[in-house]
Amino acid sequence: MNGAQHILEAFHRHNISTVFGYPGGCIMPLYDALVDDATVEHVLCRHEQGCALAADGYARASGKLGVCIATSGPGATNLITGVANAHRDSIPMLVITGQVPSGLIGTDAFQETDVLGMTLGIVKHSYLPESIDDLPAILEEAIHLAQSGRPGPVWIDIPKDVLVATSSPQPMQIPKQEKPTRPDIAEAMRILRSAKQPVIYSGGGVSLANAEAAFREFAKTSAIPSVVTLKGIGNGGKHSANHLGMLGMHGSRAANRAVDESDLLIVIGARLDDRATGRLDTFAPNARLIHIDADAAELNKLRPAAASLGGELNGILAAFTAELKARPLAISNWQRQCRTWNTTGGFNAADNEEPLTPITGPAFVRQLSRTAPDNTVIACDVGQHQMWVAQYYEFDHPRHHLTSGGLGTMGYGLPAAIGAQFADRNSTVINVAGDGSFMMNVQELATINRYQLPVKIIILDNQCLGMVRQHQELFYDNRESEINLDDNPDFVAMARAFGIPALHIDRTDQVRRSIETILAYDGPMLLHVAIARENNVWPIVKAGAGNRDIIDETRRPAKQSKESIA
Amino acid sequence: MNPQSQTDAPSYTITCQMSHELAALERLCQVVRIRGFRIAKMAVEAADNKLDIALTIQGSRPIAMLQTQLEKLQTVARVELKQPALKAATASQIA
Repeated sequence: MNGAQHILEAFHRHNISTVFGYPGGCIMPLYDALVDDATVEHVLCRHEQGCALAADGYARASGKLGVCIATSGPGATNLITGVANAHRDSIPMLVITGQVPSGLIGTDAFQETDVLGMTLGIVKHSYLPESIDDLPAILEEAIHLAQSGRPGPVWIDIPKDVLVATSSPQPMQIPKQEKPTRPDIAEAMRILRSAKQPVIYSGGGVSLANAEAAFREFAKTSAIPSVVTLKGIGNGGKHSANHLGMLGMHGSRAANRAVDESDLLIVIGARLDDRATGRLDTFAPNARLIHIDADAAELNKLRPAAASLGGELNGILAAFTAELKARPLAISNWQRQCRTWNTTGGFNAADNEEPLTPITGPAFVRQLSRTAPDNTVIACDVGQHQMWVAQYYEFDHPRHHLTSGGLGTMGYGLPAAIGAQFADRNSTVINVAGDGSFMMNVQELATINRYQLPVKIIILDNQCLGMVRQHQELFYDNRESEINLDDNPDFVAMARAFGIPALHIDRTDQVRRSIETILAYDGPMLLHVAIARENNVWPIVKAGAGNRDIIDETRRPAKQSKESIA
Repeated sequence: MNPQSQTDAPSYTITCQMSHELAALERLCQVVRIRGFRIAKMAVEAADNKLDIALTIQGSRPIAMLQTQLEKLQTVARVELKQPALKAATASQIA
């Protein structure tokens, strides 16, 4: 059995049935082995970045390991953005690249790059096997590591001579499963019982730990008002009574207000990212913290916690729930106050149903949310449309909302949607893109056409880099710089050139029917939606400002007084 | 924060035991840098497939944060803080 066959053997052992890749010189032995393999489906994307982001989307939608494969040199460097994306959002991923033969490493050989060195900061761990004898154990350890504790990408860079060298299969040592840590919650419970205005602040760690059910039980039993980070959207389900929406830079007034006035934040699977907290020294000034996370290094990292609970979320949340079932909290005044704030400061934009008016992003997304089936997966790109989806689409589950949170990778949505569609060929998957982001991985339209994936693509086209334009308008005295995209290609013609039918709309009275049309179509379809250039995402907190200094359209700063915003 | 400008930042000595794998030292040095510290002194001894490292580092961020980040490295078996913070000026006076 050669090195390449050992890799496939590891895939079989771990039920890895779908991988995303692109062949090339040094990885050819693995592609040769794939010819004879009937169980692993290899998805050929059209750029290695597409492979990595598709593997990321596959992992997020399914909860399984995402796998991507590329060759040495440019193949590996093209993966880097996608792997960094997975690293920042803690997505379980196995990355396999070919490397020049061992004897040529360090000689500046053709397509040689120091992949191990250049990727150290974007992986959970990485390997460069020096011998075929090391490879089986490395594969086993890598697959385990990528999915254990706080998940993340693990990269194996394999010299070509190791891929073709042979060794006999050996009995595999399965890495030991660590016993989940169950910290004592007594002190945290005492702090919780003494709080009068507690808020649950949950993030992406809930679904990474497969703790959605335990979280919902805790949220329901405690009835504590809750907010979510961008990656925590969907944690509480669609109809969560005390939920106030997303907090932070583009969070709801209600969510930011409740956090600002709370006396206790119960932070669950979140890391107090600056986009959520705003200026940290003014964030939730009266609140103590109970911080629950799988990664001990996140506890006390940015703000000291009164109680730090590192470990497995399911067990910890279940322990809280049991205590609260025995003796509920008495916080009805606070609950009532938060509900009032949610009524006046939640994401409840007025319906925009008047015909012939220009379409707005929020109104379109609200209609999409009402029309699409409950289990629809939305894969966003990055920018204004991403925030409108976060604000106005009602998600029933965090795995239905694929978004590039930590890295903010434009071009994420299309390949992520491809990955999500491979995770479940029968699910409804929609890529909501902006015109800027869409062009960053547009080559993946060919992948959708090749595999006839029924992915729907919606481009909210404002003919500019809208989020950058908005910041230039508000914080740079309206001095527009390199944001104009009014020479965009004809997206409808472009989709058709890839064999994908497409529609164009530009009026409000076309919105509902066009959404129904693309959803009913039995195949891939693109909907090009023209929106006004001037639409902004509201509210907004200026980068570096405190969340209390939230700006909405009615309190829009005068263009000449940008200093007063700071 | 630019660690290079932290001339009066506290100084710490930590010891670290890690497996002697490819890029082990690079990983360690990268985490020290990215988490806001600079290396003033480093001693490395390899034995039995293990590396014993003594580091004197300087930085104004909490040392506990660096310690937990180093402990996350798969190659790291143990990290110990050997002495409490010394102000750089005091340390140089002692020297």
